Amino acid sequence: MSNNYQSKISRRDGIKWLGSLASVVVIGGVTVACDGPAPEAIPVDPSSHWPDLKFEPITGPKYGQDPKVAEPTRPWSLTFTSAQRNLVAQLCDILCPADEGGPSANDVGVPEVVDEWISAPYSSQQQDRVLILNGLQWLDDEANRRFGRAFLAASNDEQIAILDDIAFKAQASKPEFIHAVQFFDKLRTLVLGGYFTSPEGVEDIGYMGNVPIMGDYPGPTEEAMAHLEEVITNLPA
Amino acid sequence: MASFDGFEYEVVVVGSGAGGGMAAHILTEAGAKVLMLEAGRDYDPYEETPMFNTNDEAPLRGVSTSDKNFGYYDATVDGGWQVPGEPYTTAEGTEFLWWRARMLGGRTNHFGRITPRFNARDFKPFSQDGMGTDWPLDYEEVGPWYDQCEKLIGVSGANVGNEDIPDSAEGVLQPPAAPRVYEILCEVAAKKLGIPLIPMRRAVLTRAIDEREACFNATECGRGCSIGAAFQTTTSLLPWANKTGNLKIVTDAMVKEVHLNDEGMASGVTFVNRKNKEDVRVDASVVILAASACETARLMLNSKSEMFPTGIANSSGQVGRNLMDSTGSDISGYIPALRGRPKYNEDGLAGNHIFIPWWDYEGQDNGTLKFKRGYHFEFGGGFGAPGMGIADGVDGYGKSAKEAVRFNYGSNFYMALRGEMVENENCYCEIDDKVKDKWGIPVLKFHWKWSQQEIDQAEHGMEWGGKIIEAMGGVVTSPKRTGEEAILAGGQIIHEVGTTRMGDDPKTSVTNKWGQTWDVKNLYVMDGSVFVSNPHKNCTLTILTLAMKNATYLAQQLNGDVS
Ligand SMILES: Cc1cc2nc3c(=O)[nH]c(=O)nc-3n(C[C@H](O)[C@H](O)[C@H](O)COP(=O)(O)OP(=O)(O)OC[C@H]3O[C@@H](n4cnc5c(N)ncnc54)[C@H](O)[C@@H]3O)c2cc1C
Ligand code: SF4
Repeated sequence: MSNNYQSKISRRDGIKWLGSLASVVVIGGVTVACDGPAPEAIPVDPSSHWPDLKFEPITGPKYGQDPKVAEPTRPWSLTFTSAQRNLVAQLCDILCPADEGGPSANDVGVPEVVDEWISAPYSSQQQDRVLILNGLQWLDDEANRRFGRAFLAASNDEQIAILDDIAFKAQASKPEFIHAVQFFDKLRTLVLGGYFTSPEGVEDIGYMGNVPIMGDYPGPTEEAMAHLEEVITNLPA
Repeated sequence: MASFDGFEYEVVVVGSGAGGGMAAHILTEAGAKVLMLEAGRDYDPYEETPMFNTNDEAPLRGVSTSDKNFGYYDATVDGGWQVPGEPYTTAEGTEFLWWRARMLGGRTNHFGRITPRFNARDFKPFSQDGMGTDWPLDYEEVGPWYDQCEKLIGVSGANVGNEDIPDSAEGVLQPPAAPRVYEILCEVAAKKLGIPLIPMRRAVLTRAIDEREACFNATECGRGCSIGAAFQTTTSLLPWANKTGNLKIVTDAMVKEVHLNDEGMASGVTFVNRKNKEDVRVDASVVILAASACETARLMLNSKSEMFPTGIANSSGQVGRNLMDSTGSDISGYIPALRGRPKYNEDGLAGNHIFIPWWDYEGQDNGTLKFKRGYHFEFGGGFGAPGMGIADGVDGYGKSAKEAVRFNYGSNFYMALRGEMVENENCYCEIDDKVKDKWGIPVLKFHWKWSQQEIDQAEHGMEWGGKIIEAMGGVVTSPKRTGEEAILAGGQIIHEVGTTRMGDDPKTSVTNKWGQTWDVKNLYVMDGSVFVSNPHKNCTLTILTLAMKNATYLAQQLNGDVS
């Protein structure tokens, strides 16, 4: 499956890369995202069939300000319906398939990560839940409009045809897709985030830390230094 | 001798963070008996620190929530930007954030351990530029105490003859850690702009001291450090003080009032036992307040008597005034040439290995700069443990999206300006007489307004931060902002100080240069409240150093060996 999607995306140099980190605050070396206010809701354009369903926020048990951090537990239950869970699993396969670098998001249990996320009784996760659940509904509605069947019942090509209209941030300029683009952006962050934070994803990306090194910190490897020297040679004058 | 629970003592210390921990260590070593009252719960970093736990083991992959504001694994207990049932208020138009922890060791359990020392001009800001107030101390007097304190707590760094961060005495500092790729790149680029980078000063051991081990180059210091390499009072000052047999610590003891006797001396304090909500009154021959700058001011303002109707030892009216924080503003970007670079372990000592000290004293003095006080840049990037934000900014789906995340890993870069503000009359805290916390204690109300000094400084920093990122071949991704837009809220950098400043004149200061209140001879303040100015150098080393110096003075008084 993986190769089907590659050609559609150019490797954007990404002036916007990490643009969302503009709000990062670092305190004593700790990077903290400060809980912002809820983003302003964008009105639904008549050209859009965004369902705009309202959901009572989940308010169940939180872990509180003094959880046993060395033995983490999650005090809230998962809330996806099985239909929602299946749809997210399919999107996980499309968003983050297995490739040479590592397994798929499904292989490492990302649907449960997304479920845990949208089921968490915190305001920012509850905002995400509204977006995700509406987005899942929108995908079914869109598939029904275009192909007369639910998203999961649509063919692979049909599914991709829909996602190709909402998988790029620039497509948010189209009023009929703006909410769906937002939804997909959020889902992508959660799915790829869930994947790369899993043990397999950590290995895939090549994070080599979190292992004790006795004695002095060795600094960059020879290979890393050689690369750096080249970067330095090519610095702007 | 007073007595509590079978323990006889003469000194009460309120708070177990940097100031209280040092006071207890010095006094108990000198033979004084100390009763320490700490509002938070008992905390054992050897048992409780989630050293190697990974993000996938934590709820929500460890991200920040309203329960754990700095992420699931952060060491803060029962606190953060809010403490449930213990609110604070802000005046209209004021944006102020107050970080508190309710635990043994206070905020030292998770602080960044960045510990630069002040230089000579930091103690004499008014003489230098006509703004703010001079300290009743100078570098000559404090320098040797810095050496002694750095040696005791363990500070890594290096003497490089930098004018902003003075050298320590020979043999005091432990070796610094080798810089990482992005740090070297920053150094090379900044040098072209005439900006130096120097080894970071951090209270992180690179050589073992007794039972405290050297940093093993892994795990985040903000979670606490169960091997004792990162300084926190709960693995050092407090266990040392305990060992003398001269200390008794009472946790869950929220002090609400300092009592005054007919002779105008402090006679003891009352605390609320948080477990059963009962008030407990204890006596003392000496009371030391080190509850953190704002809590100390609150406690004093709430301790009213006929002699001191506006709060104990407040005849100057300065208690709660002159509140200062560090300025802060951040700029981020990425370095295209660092994408796809060779992987290696960049954990190191977790924080910066090198950083940018303030570099333009000349511009400050000859008036080419619009502001009078300096700042430094902490910065970061590199191959960190992946978090949930790792795919922010990625487009598309499938293999190419996955590839984009891999390719960009290790190319992000941010710079964090931390600067000095000048005290001003619009920044202070007072008691809000309409609001009480769940213990029935009146709460603080904050007033805050940055002056043009700080706004111009932030603007300068964002301009130069951008220049540095560009000189690294990087692209700035934060939006372009004015100084006013870029500067963070008061309190947000968590370096609040100044609320009971020291001085030479009882009319304009609350304590003398020993932290002894002018009005009440046996009442001392040993936290950041006594600061007269707040140089850009992160405040905790100076809190510790002054507490060491002042507790030593007090111990001499108690032992009667002062002329
Ligand atoms: C994330 C973070 C990173 C930081 N990084 C750095 C850094 O890199 N470098 C630096 O210099 N500083 C840093 N700081 C600031 C540093 O933590 C503080 O300057 C330092 O801890 C202050 O010491 P303190 O003793 O005044 O207060 P605290 O450490 O806050 O200790 C005060 C103690 O008093 C207790 N207390 C409060 N009120 C009462 C009461 N009424 N009765 C009894 N007990 C009471 C509190 O529970 C607390 O335990 C950082 C802070 C945070 C939060
Ligand atoms: S990085 Fe070093 S000092 Fe910091 S917590 Fe880990 S072992 Fe301790």
